[in-house]
Amino acid sequence: MLRVGIVGVGTMGRTHASAYTKLPNARLIGFTDAIVDAARRVASQFGVQAFDSYEALLEQVDIVDICTPTPTHLELVLKAASAGKHILCEKPLGRTLQQCEQMIEAADRAGVTLMPAQVLRFFPEFKQARDLVLAGAVGTPAAIRTRRGGPYPRAANDWYADFEQSGGPILDMVIHDFDWLRWTFGEVERVFAKALTFKGLDHIDYALITLRLKSGAIAHVEANWADPGGFKVDFEIAGDAGMIAFDSRFAMPLTVAKQDAGGGGGGVAVPESPLAEDPYMLEIKHFVDSVQAGQPPSITAEDGMKAVEIALAAIESARTGKVIRLGGGA
Amino acid sequence: MAVRIGMMSFAHMHAYSYIHCVKQLEAEGKAQLVGIADDDPQRGQQVAQQYGTRFYNSYEALLNAGIDAVIVCPENIKHRPLTEMAAKAGKHVLCEKPLATTKADGRAMIEVCKANGVQLMTAFPCRFSPSYIRLKQMVESGELGEVLAIRGTNRGRNPGGWFTVPELSGGGAVIDHTVHVTDLCRDLLKSEVVEVYAEIGNGFCHGDFDDTGMLTLTFANDVFATLDSSWSRPKVFPTWGDVTLQVVGTKGLVYMDMFAQNSTLYDDRNMRITLEHWGSSIDYGLVSAFVESVATGKPVPITGEDGLAAAEVAFAAYESAKRGEPVRLPLPE
Repeated sequence: MLRVGIVGVGTMGRTHASAYTKLPNARLIGFTDAIVDAARRVASQFGVQAFDSYEALLEQVDIVDICTPTPTHLELVLKAASAGKHILCEKPLGRTLQQCEQMIEAADRAGVTLMPAQVLRFFPEFKQARDLVLAGAVGTPAAIRTRRGGPYPRAANDWYADFEQSGGPILDMVIHDFDWLRWTFGEVERVFAKALTFKGLDHIDYALITLRLKSGAIAHVEANWADPGGFKVDFEIAGDAGMIAFDSRFAMPLTVAKQDAGGGGGGVAVPESPLAEDPYMLEIKHFVDSVQAGQPPSITAEDGMKAVEIALAAIESARTGKVIRLGGGA
Repeated sequence: MAVRIGMMSFAHMHAYSYIHCVKQLEAEGKAQLVGIADDDPQRGQQVAQQYGTRFYNSYEALLNAGIDAVIVCPENIKHRPLTEMAAKAGKHVLCEKPLATTKADGRAMIEVCKANGVQLMTAFPCRFSPSYIRLKQMVESGELGEVLAIRGTNRGRNPGGWFTVPELSGGGAVIDHTVHVTDLCRDLLKSEVVEVYAEIGNGFCHGDFDDTGMLTLTFANDVFATLDSSWSRPKVFPTWGDVTLQVVGTKGLVYMDMFAQNSTLYDDRNMRITLEHWGSSIDYGLVSAFVESVATGKPVPITGEDGLAAAEVAFAAYESAKRGEPVRLPLPE
């Protein structure tokens, strides 16, 4: 039975917590959070302990699950590794490549597992699309498009709005798509991007990123924190023998609309896409099973770093107006 | 009085839609289809017969047949010579897009029309889409706030034939599908493109022509846009392709899928599923506007300059892909 502690009680911390409570081979021990009261509140909801310090939590667990803002990852990972704890770390793995390298080195030295939570790999529509591509369903992929986003995200201390912390939608959000693109289509050759990130707008950010892959395929990635119309995801993989298209707007088996109860805001249709196996659950299960078996997980820390590298190249391109070539060389 | 129209070449398939529109305007008493000429006489005769009009053995003969205006739809590289012939004969010209395959050709076409006192209009029918007109109203009314970014697509299938022979078409998918959405962006923003970056490929057909284009445009007013101009629709795709535009503003976002007004036909006999479009004809709006300008002498709504500005973005895209870096506009004359 692996004992688990979670750092950070935001949406992702609570989502991960629910998953651990359903696993036979893991036991959620408790939470810690920079906001002590928040940790206590969530801990009591889950009937587990709230720790006043990270160090105190580390003493009680085998696994640390880090669900905190990006710039805090480095220190938390280094402490966990030196305490010999296995680590699941939210994406993006680090705010800089150097941070990622330090984490990987520390985990290697300590002989612990460090898995970045690139959960998109466990979303059935993305996993299936990859399986189809690898099976040759569209022939050789030539043009790939992804879209992700919705309203500007709000969280504790409005940290998403601080670019130095979050890296904006390119680093914080479409890192999902970068990881999936790499996983499915291979390495990226060069990146060109335009973004609103540096225009000093109030809670609006948006980026359009073009990637040339080493395979020759061209990918277009949209990162949208400027759509008040709700969160949407789509992708399209066009190849020389076919195409796969997915649009979250049209993959909703349930749509409910309720009579306005008089408080206003009623009457809007709300779609749902329930799954028997939640992708976050599958991700956590894979991580825990890997740790238990002493096997490396299918998503390595290097994968996490490579996704950060693509995102940082896109940010650099948007900032400088230049084409950024990956893996050295101009 | 009805505007007397001649059709020059049916090499571009859009000519078939335009002649249909001319016939419709004829029924309304606004236009008269005088005849057609085509350097492929078999094709020309066939169309003439189909539409009950006269086939002229040469472009000269058509131009001497007492017409007011021509609709020019040959292979892209012949836009210039046919436009020059028509202008010198004093005929107004509606020219298929892309206006030209080089900047020099486009400039010459604009000049010859000016010198001969005839109007030159570029065939950008998307401007007449009711959805686009509504979107433009939203932008102009300010309800979306300040426009910040645009994401566009104009995707289709490889049309084959001369479209895939760069000596006749001036390129491939990028020259074919860059100009419509570029024109819409220019029209919406009232700003010119100052930089183009393009990733171009041939991964669909593996031919000696491009079939994949992912362009990034920057406008003088600092708005950026991307445009997917690929021939990426599969053979079994239920419709020809798309024109989409997503406009991101400080106060909101609007998404247009111009040809989304369809019903789905499940056809067992042909084992196909197709989207049957019931939206308004944008080509009718285009041809009708041209006819009205010729009849009244008022300026055409989409000029040769508009056509050249959009084509120049495609030229810059090829240059960008060759150099592997963004290219500044305007390109040297």
